[in-house]
Amino acid sequence: MTTTLFPAQEIGSLMKPRWQIVGQHGEPLDETAREEFRAENARTHFADDLPAAAEALLAGRSREVGAEGVRDLGSLFAIRLFETAGLARVYDGEARRIEMYEYPIRQMRGFQFQGHVRSFDNKYYLKAAVTDEVRLEHPYHVEEFDFVRRHARAEPKLPVTGPYTLADWSYNEYYLARQPGWKGRAARRAGQRDFVIDIARRAIRPTLAALIDRGCRVIQIDEPAAGTHPDEADLVVEGFNAATEGLDAEFSMHICYSDYRALLPQLLEAKRCRQWAWEFANRDRDGRDGYEVLRALREYGDTRSIGLGVADVHRDEVETPERVADRIRRAVGYLGDPTRIWVNPDCGLRTRRLEIARRKLEAVVAGAAIARAEIEPPRR
Amino acid sequence: MIVRTGLTGPFPRSEALVGATRDLDRGRATAEFVEELYARTEGEVAAIERRLGLDVVTGGYLRWPDLFRPFAETWEGFTVGPLSRWFETNTFYRQPILHAPPGRVPGAIAAHLPPAARAEPARGGVILPGPYTFAGLLENRSGETDEALVHRLGRLLAEEVRELVGLGFGTVQFTEPLLVDRPPSGALAEAVVAAYRSVRTSAGTATVLVWTYGGDAIPVFPLLDRLPVSAVGVDLAETDWESIPPSDERRGIGLGVIDPRTTLVEDPVEVARIVRALHDRRRPTAIYLGPGGPLDLLPWEPATRKLHLLPAARQALLGEGGGRS
Repeated sequence: MTTTLFPAQEIGSLMKPRWQIVGQHGEPLDETAREEFRAENARTHFADDLPAAAEALLAGRSREVGAEGVRDLGSLFAIRLFETAGLARVYDGEARRIEMYEYPIRQMRGFQFQGHVRSFDNKYYLKAAVTDEVRLEHPYHVEEFDFVRRHARAEPKLPVTGPYTLADWSYNEYYLARQPGWKGRAARRAGQRDFVIDIARRAIRPTLAALIDRGCRVIQIDEPAAGTHPDEADLVVEGFNAATEGLDAEFSMHICYSDYRALLPQLLEAKRCRQWAWEFANRDRDGRDGYEVLRALREYGDTRSIGLGVADVHRDEVETPERVADRIRRAVGYLGDPTRIWVNPDCGLRTRRLEIARRKLEAVVAGAAIARAEIEPPRR
Repeated sequence: MIVRTGLTGPFPRSEALVGATRDLDRGRATAEFVEELYARTEGEVAAIERRLGLDVVTGGYLRWPDLFRPFAETWEGFTVGPLSRWFETNTFYRQPILHAPPGRVPGAIAAHLPPAARAEPARGGVILPGPYTFAGLLENRSGETDEALVHRLGRLLAEEVRELVGLGFGTVQFTEPLLVDRPPSGALAEAVVAAYRSVRTSAGTATVLVWTYGGDAIPVFPLLDRLPVSAVGVDLAETDWESIPPSDERRGIGLGVIDPRTTLVEDPVEVARIVRALHDRRRPTAIYLGPGGPLDLLPWEPATRKLHLLPAARQALLGEGGGRS
């Protein structure tokens, strides 16, 4: 439950600024990249925490700053962008990560990358096969969390890709090959369960434990693949429960572009999940009510909080604050309790240009303010 | 035993094409460069298909953003809608929105076919959305009932087939995963049969295949066996092959023997054992072997590696060089 109604949070990655990409390759910034850096710094003063690195980067001495130093600046850039947009919970836009799948997989043993698969249109992701037993090299995201914790003024909220998604987005060779006979549906399911549980126990739980030891209190488990196979909702839950077993933090589960009703009620068995962060805005158009699915949670009596997707991350059109407020009003109507609602984009904004991403976040915050001014918190 | 082999859906883009199309979106590559690379890569897919001795050459359908997009962008009555998940995969399509009764635009789909398939049409494979899957996955704001829409799309696709067969294409494959994901019944099932009757009439002597995938085909076999086509294909990773019923009619059967959801390569000897058992049970006029789903669920290299299963399984079934007719 929130004390201020409709606080805003980010949900994942941002597009990396051009100066970061150029700089972390050790190349001197061209004028366009320098101008991009200066303009953003004038707006948020993100480089104030690392003035020497900023000065060297702008002076064309990228190698002196080093890839890690440039990523530090990239992380600050994202933190301040989120904070100045008005978010109550922030992270670093995954400035140090390649993306949400490849990065964690590269921290593990037992995988071999196979190449790119198309997600849609000209969007792709790199996909690995598990060819041996999963092993963790070392807990990951720890250094990046330490950096965010040191620099963020808002509360840090760390996204971690969940075990089910890592398994679903990988090809299962090792655990499938252990199943006898023709690799039909039953063999695939048994092999997939072994795979999910091994990732959860051997890789993700030790990582979460290390993060919590460093002071991480709010952790978003990203399971965008959860809706891919609705009949495997129990595996999503088994993976979540195995990954968080015995751990104490405010865990949420992010799922997007899915038929949420098809995952219920199995999903509700995720024991330590305190918030559902779901996508709604993408489906809220052309006369359709994208928020109607919230009824299902009420029907099942689920009282966890909601990370309400109110900005569509796949379109450049920036939502007006009034439209965001309208979406919040409808969600309140379906849930019946405004204190359970956080607002956020549907998903990470990495596919949108930074200027669009910023404007969408500002619209989310402005829309929440409109709704807040209208809606009274319930008396308790 | 007559064994035919071929792709049943799109082939993955090469790593070079992945990079080029990404660069195009980011303004770092020209449309001309990407176009040239598309043409070269389609040629490579066709060369792989020929080198492996596949009976159908498709060119891979690398340019199609999804199964429906060329229709949603060129046929009358449609607009392109939001992203939707493509069955139980981590891939997405833009849902066509139908605002009025659809209208076909002659020549529009033929222009979207890979040049590599158009260059050798007798062996060229056309891959189209099946009328049931098309009708079921679009957002229907046209006011037509589901049955009427399946009928209408069946007639329009039949006209499409007539045009394509007129251009010399010898094989037309319809993609129908929805038949096993959400099996039709009653009047809707009859509409599906009628739609394929229209298609069959238009196809003349061309081979017409319907490929299902992504679901268990056993519950829907009575309907699949009624479709008046050369063969209906089923996904053997999802369908328990031992439960496939015998058939009284002399017709072909399609067997999806490559699982595109795993890089693990299937054993050709095991595939041959299953195919022989099904041949003995159903006595099909021909067996069509292909992937049990879109091979573009894999990257280029493992997809190419797995595609070698088809000639290997054929050889295991028929011996060196056998079975081609």
